[in-house]
Amino acid sequence: MMPVAASDCARGRWTRRLCLMALLATHLASAPVGAAELPPLSHRLTALGEPAPAPALRLLDLDGGTHDLADLKGRLVLVNFWATWCPPCRREMPSLERLYQQLRDRGLTVLAVDVGEDPDTVFAFTGQLEPAPSFPLLLDPESRAAEDWRVKGLPTSFLIDPQGRVIFRAVGGTEFDQAATLEQLSPYLPAR
Amino acid sequence: MVLAALASLPAAGEPSRRDPDTGAATWETQAHGVTLSLTQLLPDQVSAFYVNRGFALADAAVFARACVFMTVLRNDAAPGELSFRLADWRVQQGGETRSLPLLDDWLAQWQGRGVGAAARVAFRWAQFPPEQSYAPGEWNQGMLATGLPPGSRFDLIARWTVAGQVYEGRVDDARCSE
Repeated sequence: MMPVAASDCARGRWTRRLCLMALLATHLASAPVGAAELPPLSHRLTALGEPAPAPALRLLDLDGGTHDLADLKGRLVLVNFWATWCPPCRREMPSLERLYQQLRDRGLTVLAVDVGEDPDTVFAFTGQLEPAPSFPLLLDPESRAAEDWRVKGLPTSFLIDPQGRVIFRAVGGTEFDQAATLEQLSPYLPAR
Repeated sequence: MVLAALASLPAAGEPSRRDPDTGAATWETQAHGVTLSLTQLLPDQVSAFYVNRGFALADAAVFARACVFMTVLRNDAAPGELSFRLADWRVQQGGETRSLPLLDDWLAQWQGRGVGAAARVAFRWAQFPPEQSYAPGEWNQGMLATGLPPGSRFDLIARWTVAGQVYEGRVDDARCSE
C-alpha cells in the first residue's frame, strides 16, 4: 500500500473507510498496539541445558549477498528472527546494534533474519532506526529458515558458540546490551 | 496430567487500563508467576494491518470481525519453563464453553479464499503462537481471535504446564471491540 497523507483524504481521493484504513496502516507500520501497552524487554538470555548443533542457515541479504552460518565457525553468532511489523522486534533492534558495536571486534557476529517481508520493506524500516543496524539483514521470505529453527513466534534469537552449537535463546523482546546479557556472552567470545 | 492449581487471580470486569488515544481496553491478570493480557484491537485497525500485507479488504474483514486482541503472555516467575497450546485454552460466554479458532483453520480458510502466499506468511507470524514454551523471563505477543461477534463479553481461560502440572489463568468479562 502506498503511503497516505491526511491531505489525500481531505481532497477526496480516497473513500472515507479506505482512507481511514490506509492512514492507520501508514501510521501503524508495526502491529497495532501502543508501546505503552507492551511488557518490559527481557534482560537475560535463557541457557540451553544441552547445546545442540545449530540448524543450517544460508540466506541472502538486502544486497543479494549470501551469508552461511557454516562459514562462521570460530565466531560467536547471534541469530535474530524478526519482522518490521513486530513491536518487540522493533524495540530490541537498537540494543542488538549496540551489542554488535561493543563486541564485534571480540568475535561477535549478528545475523538478523527478517521473516516474510521484501527487501524494500526491510530497508525502509531500518532507515528509521537509531542506531541503524550495521550487521547483515537476511531475508527469509517464505519463513523456511524460521521453521527449520523451530521458531514459534517473533522475535526469537539464538546464540551460537564458536563450535557451531546453540547455547542460549531469547524468546520475546530482549534488551541485548544489558550488563547481565554481556556477562552471559563473555565466556564464549573467542580469545583475543 | 493433574490440574494442580485452579486458583488464579481473575481480572476484574473493568479493564486494567485504557489507551488514552484509542480508548482500547486492556485486561490483565497474574497467576502462578505468569502475566496474561488482552488488548482490544479495533476491526479497522486489524483490517488495515492485513490489507497492508496483501490481504483483500473482504478477506481481512473476516478476521477483523472475529474479536481480535493483542495478546501477551509472559513468564515472570513461574516455577520453571512453561508450555502452552492454544488448543487447550477456552472461551466462556453465556454458559457455553468453546475453543479458540486455530491458526491452521484460518490458514486453510485464506488458502481457500485465494489469499496470496506472502500474505498468509504475514498472517501466520502476526498471530499469537499456537504453542510455545517460555523460560522465566521469556514472553511473546501476537493477535488472538476469539471468533466471537463484535461487542461480545466473555471469559478467557488460559492453560499452561510447568513440569507436567497444569495451571490456569483467567481473564473475566473481557469485551470485544465494536
